[in-house]
Amino acid sequence: MNDRLREIADELASVPRELQVELLLDHARQFPPLPERYRAAREAGLGRVHECQAEVYFFPEVADGAVHLHADVPGHAPTQRALVGILMEAYDGATPAEVAAIPDDLLQRMGIDRLLGPQRQRGFAGVLARLKHGVAEASA
Amino acid sequence: MSDYAHPEVLVSTAWVASHLADTERVRVIESNEDVLLYATGHLHNAVHVDWQTDLQDPDVRDTISRAQFERLCSRFGIRPETTLVFYGDKSNWWACYAFWTFKMFGHQDCRIMDGGRAKWEAEGRTMTTDVPTYESTDYDAGDTRPEIRALRDEVLDHMKEGGAMVDVRSPQEFIGEISHAPHNPASEAAMRAGHIPGASNVPWSRAAASDDTFKSREELEAIYLSEQGLDPKDRTITYCRIGERSSHTWFVLTYLLGFENVQNYDGSWTEWGNLVGVPVEKGMPDADSSIAD
Repeated sequence: MNDRLREIADELASVPRELQVELLLDHARQFPPLPERYRAAREAGLGRVHECQAEVYFFPEVADGAVHLHADVPGHAPTQRALVGILMEAYDGATPAEVAAIPDDLLQRMGIDRLLGPQRQRGFAGVLARLKHGVAEASA
Repeated sequence: MSDYAHPEVLVSTAWVASHLADTERVRVIESNEDVLLYATGHLHNAVHVDWQTDLQDPDVRDTISRAQFERLCSRFGIRPETTLVFYGDKSNWWACYAFWTFKMFGHQDCRIMDGGRAKWEAEGRTMTTDVPTYESTDYDAGDTRPEIRALRDEVLDHMKEGGAMVDVRSPQEFIGEISHAPHNPASEAAMRAGHIPGASNVPWSRAAASDDTFKSREELEAIYLSEQGLDPKDRTITYCRIGERSSHTWFVLTYLLGFENVQNYDGSWTEWGNLVGVPVEKGMPDADSSIAD
């Protein structure tokens, strides 16, 4: 994982559960709005990650070898907003190879696997797989 | 709400608002799909119970033990006679799951706030981020009610006897047309797609109105009795993918329509679709029936 993601993961892993909740909610609050140009595609249901019970929509872009992630997650799904928001922040401008190298055991490295429980970890595994796949497709 | 078979188990947002201060007799419990949602704001004096981390054992794939349940209740200052009101996101899926779990451990007075979190918010009612603390009790679970849960062997026997079953997943899941994402084929968490032979397909959402409240008794009877031909006297098993949406239908059949013996199969499709040697049926059992999601 890249330096920014490692920084965020280390911070989460080093604090108790209550503070993890606060840190994640901070990330959820900072989630950027979906660019206007993707609004119509989002309304049409494109970009939906079906592995995840929360509605997560991804619109990855790769321009000049740099990745730009755009996504939409409803406000009533703060966990997915936080996790997707962290990836968007940490990997904006990264290379497709860096995205492909995001570790699949990210939640364990963040120390939040117990906070989420096994079912939600499965949901996020789907989100991460979809993100990597989308970036790989956009860069092909 | 008075038309329902057991109207006392369903309370309105207004009823809850006027009982929030009565912490001596009433405990309001929020239960969500999203583990962080409670921390963003919740009803005054409400506590948080998470289906994954509070109600399920972290190691064994099962609900928590009776002793763990007693500790959970004690921590929230709950007594056996406390009135518990459950509410949550997603049309009360998880509130119904928590309700079902508490009933299984024998808690008497459990209720659901009709419309859940969404209705409370839509009405502009007050929320807070203050987390209440209660003087702990020494909760002693009474007679448990394991009969409201179906385990896989019971489901298999029930299937062989031609018993009534309601699969509450989407028609696509029911007929076995799971749309695998090509890059992540294992994501559905089941090795096989389809349904348990003999089950009828009534997506859970058909019991919910657009504001997340439950439909009227008349509307529910039209679906489950007239259309599906279910009999309130018959033992009936509900299931979905992981047992939460089917708790919603379990609640509807048991308390709103007065079915006498409904069991929630919480192992659901993630268990059945992975079992070796059990029958799986694909497609619609009756080609003439078209069921909208």
